[in-house]
Amino acid sequence: MIAPYALKLAVQSLLKEKWINLLSVMTIGAGLLIISVSFFALYNIDIATKKLPKKFSMNVYLDNNLQQDRLDSIMDAIRKNRAVLSVRYISKDEAMKELKSYLKNSDYILEGLEENPLPDSLEIKLRKDATGRETAQQLAREALKIKGVAEVDYGENFLTTLTAIKKGFNAIGLVFAVILSTGIIFVCYSTVKILFYRRTEEIETFKLLGATKGFIRTPFLIEGAFIGACGGLLSLAGCFSLYYTVLLRLSVTMPVFKAVLFPANLFLPLPVIGMLLGLAGATIALGRIRY
Amino acid sequence: MIHFQNVTKDFDNQTALKDISFSVDKGQMVFLTGPSGSGKTTLLKLIYLAERPDNGEIIIDGYDTSQIKDSGIPLVRRSIGIVFQDFRLLENRTVFENISIALRIRGIGEKETKTRTYDVLKNVNLRHKADSYPKRLSGGEQQRVVIARAIVPEPVILLADEPTGNLDPDTAEGVMNTFKNVHAKGTTILIATHNRELYRNTGNKVLRLDSGNLIGEEFGR
Repeated sequence: MIAPYALKLAVQSLLKEKWINLLSVMTIGAGLLIISVSFFALYNIDIATKKLPKKFSMNVYLDNNLQQDRLDSIMDAIRKNRAVLSVRYISKDEAMKELKSYLKNSDYILEGLEENPLPDSLEIKLRKDATGRETAQQLAREALKIKGVAEVDYGENFLTTLTAIKKGFNAIGLVFAVILSTGIIFVCYSTVKILFYRRTEEIETFKLLGATKGFIRTPFLIEGAFIGACGGLLSLAGCFSLYYTVLLRLSVTMPVFKAVLFPANLFLPLPVIGMLLGLAGATIALGRIRY
Repeated sequence: MIHFQNVTKDFDNQTALKDISFSVDKGQMVFLTGPSGSGKTTLLKLIYLAERPDNGEIIIDGYDTSQIKDSGIPLVRRSIGIVFQDFRLLENRTVFENISIALRIRGIGEKETKTRTYDVLKNVNLRHKADSYPKRLSGGEQQRVVIARAIVPEPVILLADEPTGNLDPDTAEGVMNTFKNVHAKGTTILIATHNRELYRNTGNKVLRLDSGNLIGEEFGR
């Protein structure tokens, strides 16, 4: 029977102190919006970096004049690796042809070469789930052990940079989320504390009439949770507004934004996240108040 | 029902109550009298555990208060109705809400709360003021709201601190009649007052305090 009345007290207080509560909701909303935008950016960076390895391939350079059976055994040995999606043989002549087509009008650079300096090679495509630096490194080490393999180029720098960028962005995102979540908890903490002190006299009377701590605390917990949830709702509205009014319009004039993905489903729990943060702030506040 | 044994209470090295011993039996109506600052309010506060004694033993409804932890205080207070000297009415809540809060705190359901609150409002002749705010009421009406709030949960013990202070004789008589009705139902009542008219010719026990000392125990004549 206490719960409905606690809800009533909470609603009364929310309406009575509407300006403080509105300010808190807006602050929480802004905080959660910044977290969401950061997450949105990280999500798209992650998607983009996952797409990049599709274009990424390893090149295995072979010794000159290998016999066909040796070549076949090398290709078989490489294909056996779980990370390998496909292996394509590129003869030195084919490689020269590709180089010439790449150089287009600058192919005069190659003039004067008496002999094709390019080696025979194998182009290895990796599976989508095996494009990490460690996998590529491991495969390169194994390939180098095969007789007839002269050199392996797996774009080490590219993969290292990519991994570092991903890790960096994730770390920044995490720090950002922790700082802002702490900020949101603090906003709820302060709001509940202010609301509590504004009702000190009433609470004192409740206590003298026999109210338990639970009876006194419950309305404030409801208020904290409600303020947090409203902040979450506001940030959710902000996310959708930003995407539909800003990004979609920008993508008309700047096609690069067309590639940006909006994970609407992942943003839907924002009100619940806000509610939990609000509840946490209220719980800490009530735990620290002596009454 | 209420038992004090050698109870002493000091505030900042000043003695508020000194070696007080007395008993109030179940169903008794007792008056606590004495000049301002004699310790009446402090004695009542010790009963509803707003203060703890420095020495001595207090037993309320069979419970030794020294054994009651802070978390148990609300349960003790739920068996006591209190008429505060300063009313402690919630200014931003209606008369109905001020009274019904005593029931809501006890977890009583909405329907029963409404019935009992309107019943008690009728008993104190304030049914028509249910939706008014305390500031719109006269002193006597406010006093009756406080009494209604104290008696609506049908407590075992009723404590009243100067319940007729600042009231005209007719209103004071009305307040006392309410107490008599509650007493008739078996409630133990302790009334702190310096108004002799309240206990004169009642035959009730009167405890006389002066400067924190219990200087006499007599019967109202």
